[in-house]
Amino acid sequence: MDILINALEQMFTPATAAFAIAAIGLNFHFGLTGLLNMGQAGFMLLGMYGYAISVREGLPMWAAILVAMGAAILFGLLLGWPTLKLRGDYLAIVTIAAAEIVRYVGRSNTLVEVTGGSLGIKGKDYKGPLEDLSPFPDERITVGPFTYHGSASDSWWLRVVAWVLVALFLLLFWRLSNSPWGRVLKGIREDEDAVRSLGKNVYWYKMQALIIGGVIGALGGVIWAHGSAVVADAMGRPTTFWVWTILLLGGAATVMGPVVGSVVFWAALSLIRAVAKAFIPESILPSTAIEPFGLMLVGIALILLVVFRPQGILGNKKELAFHA
Amino acid sequence: MFTRPDTRFYKAAGLLLIAAAAFVIATLVLGGGPAEAETVEPVAAGTSTATLVIQNVINGLAFGVLLALAAVGLSLIFGTTGLSNFAHGEQVTFGALLTFFLSTNEQVTIPLVPGSFTIGLPLWLAAIIAVIVSGFTGWLQDKMLWGPLRKRRVAVLQQMVVSIGLSLALLNLLQWWMGGTRHRLTNASGGRITFGNFYVGTLTLMSVVIAAIALAGVALFLLKTRLGRATRAISDNPALAAASGIRVDSIIRLVWVMSAALAGLGGILLALFDNGAGFDSGARILLLMFAAVTLGGLGQAFGALVGALVVGVVSEVSTVVIAPDMRYASALAILIIVLLVRPQGILGRKERVG
Repeated sequence: MDILINALEQMFTPATAAFAIAAIGLNFHFGLTGLLNMGQAGFMLLGMYGYAISVREGLPMWAAILVAMGAAILFGLLLGWPTLKLRGDYLAIVTIAAAEIVRYVGRSNTLVEVTGGSLGIKGKDYKGPLEDLSPFPDERITVGPFTYHGSASDSWWLRVVAWVLVALFLLLFWRLSNSPWGRVLKGIREDEDAVRSLGKNVYWYKMQALIIGGVIGALGGVIWAHGSAVVADAMGRPTTFWVWTILLLGGAATVMGPVVGSVVFWAALSLIRAVAKAFIPESILPSTAIEPFGLMLVGIALILLVVFRPQGILGNKKELAFHA
Repeated sequence: MFTRPDTRFYKAAGLLLIAAAAFVIATLVLGGGPAEAETVEPVAAGTSTATLVIQNVINGLAFGVLLALAAVGLSLIFGTTGLSNFAHGEQVTFGALLTFFLSTNEQVTIPLVPGSFTIGLPLWLAAIIAVIVSGFTGWLQDKMLWGPLRKRRVAVLQQMVVSIGLSLALLNLLQWWMGGTRHRLTNASGGRITFGNFYVGTLTLMSVVIAAIALAGVALFLLKTRLGRATRAISDNPALAAASGIRVDSIIRLVWVMSAALAGLGGILLALFDNGAGFDSGARILLLMFAAVTLGGLGQAFGALVGALVVGVVSEVSTVVIAPDMRYASALAILIIVLLVRPQGILGRKERVG
């Protein structure tokens, strides 16, 4: 019973919402436009740093959010400029390399004054403004089987904010993907040359998609940072791969796909861990091996998904997003 | 796309030398005076920057040769199948960890098998077995996964995401198997050979010689043997190669075996060079391998060598100016800059890649 409640709890954590938001961003890249952005974790990390450092240096909250978004816009421009004219796998390699550069620089000791090095930035330095806005009482609140603090850190307030943001971005994706602009992006995904021959500036459309998705990813990072802390190594390549698994699991190019994917992903991961801990004896699966065991299954799930059900849970096989 | 090193090669090499010289001079001018104490190797205080740069170039060249050996398989696979294999890093780790597994005197375990035991083979024998087993994993992968995917005509980008899943699965399997700590293949620290102000570790020198021999072997295979010629034909034009009677599928399987075996050997030598290997040591250099392969020109086997030398030298020499924990960042930055000005890579032929 505890295992099930735990899994249910995982479905609505701020981390689940943050990954759903990052996956919505990736849906703009890959689902709509067919761009292989392998650096979503870099966008998230930039958003986290942008927000946390601005707040620590005394900027108001709205300005910090603008800084986070601005960082993602710059990063998108910088990445898109050399690569959007090239073949898809070049973008993949450059984005993954750029995301790693962000991480290396963030955890480097040279900038320890600004980024906190490999220890990162502590929650109390930047969580204040959002927590001060909380209408909930400053104590632990129990609803049904769940108990969280009203407004501090991993709280009810953060859950409300995170899921409202998810809903807003879903609305944005739904509206934009059905707009003339979204149809051009889908056209680019299906046949770039055809769209170019209609006189559209394909390069610029791709750039817009890259930037919008990246900004959404950065805001997902800000949410994630409020649930835990700003640490560079938490946003490495595996994070990007999880976001991809989430998107492909839910269904690329669908509106609800990222959310369904994120909820299922985190609930399943928590179930696997709990079940493995409860039913497999220590001599066969020691407790240190449970984490890698669960993540190994994530990798296998990604392979099976891409091979056997590339459209994911909700997707439409006709709208396959993989085009060579 | 595989061609003998011709004038383009010399032109590229010349460009490279000029760039390296410019870089060295720039660091000398900008960063003159005694070096910071923050370098990887302990350097006596007051060592001049020039000495430091040259020592770093030596280290960088050694690292570059080893990186080239690990990366050449990535390039071969890209050349013949068009796949950017993100699971290549785990092949590199696997070679090193299997060698440790076979040669260590500590207790080792296998996942899901209770109990622990010691094998304790001599290092050279363990390394040979590890390379053979690595090659076998390449065969197995192609037989079980990549061959069927090619037969189903799964798009290359889709295969790339499959390789990402495979990399995630293998990385965590390796962590499960060997835990999170680093393992040393040998306790012998090995002396160092000093000449003037500079030095090379004997272990490093041995690794580099073995890697150079293996790379020469790959070059001979590609240029002189029938199979190598068939491999080059497939990278040039698979359909034409198939039409002229080359068995494309078995050649690609051979390429997978070679690639995995070379990655394994590269992993072992890198572990000797780097004083040990952990479950993520291959994943750490995966992007450097991609940088090397892309720099040289995707799919150009000789390009991987040139690219790896650039990456090795740049990442080591950059520690003179920036902090050592950012040295890989500089190599990746070079990758992005090169894509800006010369997307086909140093040795690549100019063609539309969009």
